[in-house]
Amino acid sequence: MTATTTASKPLSRAGTPSVSLRGLTKVFGGTTVVDHLDLDVAGGEFFSLLGPSGCGKTTTLRMIAGFSDPTDGSVLVGGEDVTSTPPHKRDVNTVFQSYALFEHLDVRGNVGFGLRRKGLDRRTLDRRVSEMLELVELADKGREKPSRLSGGQRQRVALARALINEPKVLLLDEPLAALDLQLRHAMQAELKALQREVGITFLFVTHDQDEALSMSDRVAIMNNGVLEQCGTPEDVYERPTSVFAAGFIGTSNLMSGVWSHGSVVVAPSVAIPAPAHHGSAEGDTVSVAVRPEKIWLGDHTDEMFRLPGTIEATTYHGATTRYRVAIAPGLALTVLEQNLPRMRAEDRWDPGDRVEVGWLPEHTVVLT
Amino acid sequence: MPRRSLERRPRTAVAVTVLLFAWLYLPILAVTLFSFNDKKSLSAFSGFSLRWYHDLAHDQALLESLVASLQIATLATLGSLVLGTMLALGLERVRSRRGRVIGAVTLLPLVTPEIVTGVAALLLFTGIGLKLSLTTVVLAEITFSIAYVTVIVRGRLAGLSTEVEEAARDLGCTPWQALRLVTLPALVPALLGAGLLVFALVFDDFVLAFFTTGVDPQPLPVRVYSSIRFGVSPAINAIGTLMLLVSALLIVAALVLLRLFGRGTSSLELITGGERR
Repeated sequence: MTATTTASKPLSRAGTPSVSLRGLTKVFGGTTVVDHLDLDVAGGEFFSLLGPSGCGKTTTLRMIAGFSDPTDGSVLVGGEDVTSTPPHKRDVNTVFQSYALFEHLDVRGNVGFGLRRKGLDRRTLDRRVSEMLELVELADKGREKPSRLSGGQRQRVALARALINEPKVLLLDEPLAALDLQLRHAMQAELKALQREVGITFLFVTHDQDEALSMSDRVAIMNNGVLEQCGTPEDVYERPTSVFAAGFIGTSNLMSGVWSHGSVVVAPSVAIPAPAHHGSAEGDTVSVAVRPEKIWLGDHTDEMFRLPGTIEATTYHGATTRYRVAIAPGLALTVLEQNLPRMRAEDRWDPGDRVEVGWLPEHTVVLT
Repeated sequence: MPRRSLERRPRTAVAVTVLLFAWLYLPILAVTLFSFNDKKSLSAFSGFSLRWYHDLAHDQALLESLVASLQIATLATLGSLVLGTMLALGLERVRSRRGRVIGAVTLLPLVTPEIVTGVAALLLFTGIGLKLSLTTVVLAEITFSIAYVTVIVRGRLAGLSTEVEEAARDLGCTPWQALRLVTLPALVPALLGAGLLVFALVFDDFVLAFFTTGVDPQPLPVRVYSSIRFGVSPAINAIGTLMLLVSALLIVAALVLLRLFGRGTSSLELITGGERR
């Protein structure tokens, strides 16, 4: 039910999308880095471009900002074609991975830089800068040089410097990558709260799936310059549509088999019942995926699909325990079990134990 | 022999250091000292006096030469700063193999014997019918100094993320504004360092000035050289002391300027134009 409400949310927010990409293509010396990308980001949306390094996500961002010219296709910002507009005339702003602060200016000089270019009068400028510094909790650092700030503070200056211009869309190029883990988690929450407060569209580029899932309204997964899948975090995690998407986000038990009478035969003795999949017919080879945490080793219900298996390995991970369960010769499933309060060490399965694995049929995902 | 403990003063190192400093600075100290001598002797100091400075102040030709050299150094510094910075910015944008070749070629003046540059400049100027004057000296010195500026500015540019200029463009700057408002201010330490170095090199440069100067007024080093041929006067010591003072003042001025810019740049980085951590 949450999936349907979040999926329809972007559409109800605004009429024209903040950013639209139409057949966007970039070729660098014979290599196609971005391949016919079509994408619409709605107004006020927190949208993530997620993919491994070299997948073309940063190039896409640079084409939207205007630092890189598309080989083909067009970029629309607020419904207006800006494909041949220079960066300084585009209503977009960028938070760079290196922050790219102006070291010769103090914090106020950095934050007010964009408004000064627009020729705002001094009083309004001072007031807007003060408000923005208040918003990012740097009110007392206005006269500091960027070199005297911590990593997290520099990050907030970069954010304030871009946000103060109230762009139609804010582009963020892995802005948290340079921070240590703890600070990164704190900044994730801060960034998300800030985006809700200012209501500006965020287009966020990251290779960190956890970051993308926890912050975004929608996530687009890119690989080799192609959009693999686009949807709400729940969509892309629960219902991946490609082998790459299933493997890149979280972990999946991927098995390939042949369609036969409403099941996918992944081993001579194992036929997994699967929901109908359009475009695949009897005898076709397909892949199926099951998330490790969806598989139960006990407490099965009648609706579940069940299989006998043998524990191959047990790994204790603190909050969870990870099992490898062999279900056929050369075929094993990863099963993730929460270490709930009622469970004790002796309740864990040991290698060699005979078990029964089971999961609900809707957790079997058929991939192409 | 027992090993010396690490806490003991490394006497050899101290001795070598003292000797090295003596070797470096004793001649300069001697020049300074004898510029205040009250006799013409260059070997015995007999008493303090300012007579050689007085002589200097009334030597019209020498003063003209001093002014000429200051003019040459100032113009050559400005000219090479402008051209050298433009070259560095251009090379930074050409990242092809051709760009690397051009970059290497710009370094050639650093290793070319100055006498070759001097003769070449002389042949060029006479060849195209340019009358030798202070202008020709300035032109030759600029040619020679561009490489220094380019090397220092490129060093600084390499440490400057290309994202900084993109950020300026992103925030509403035209390419020209981005250069003026962001890139050039970021280069200030390198420009100051390069300017200082070029000024010091050109101000007392003899070889190029000798080949390319006209008759009158002569640059100071050329004038000093020709006056020595008629016997060494302690007034030369006074000139040397003054030049030392000017150089020291320049370095202090540059350091003060950098402080005013609010940068914690060390004097070493000032000379190298190095990247700040």
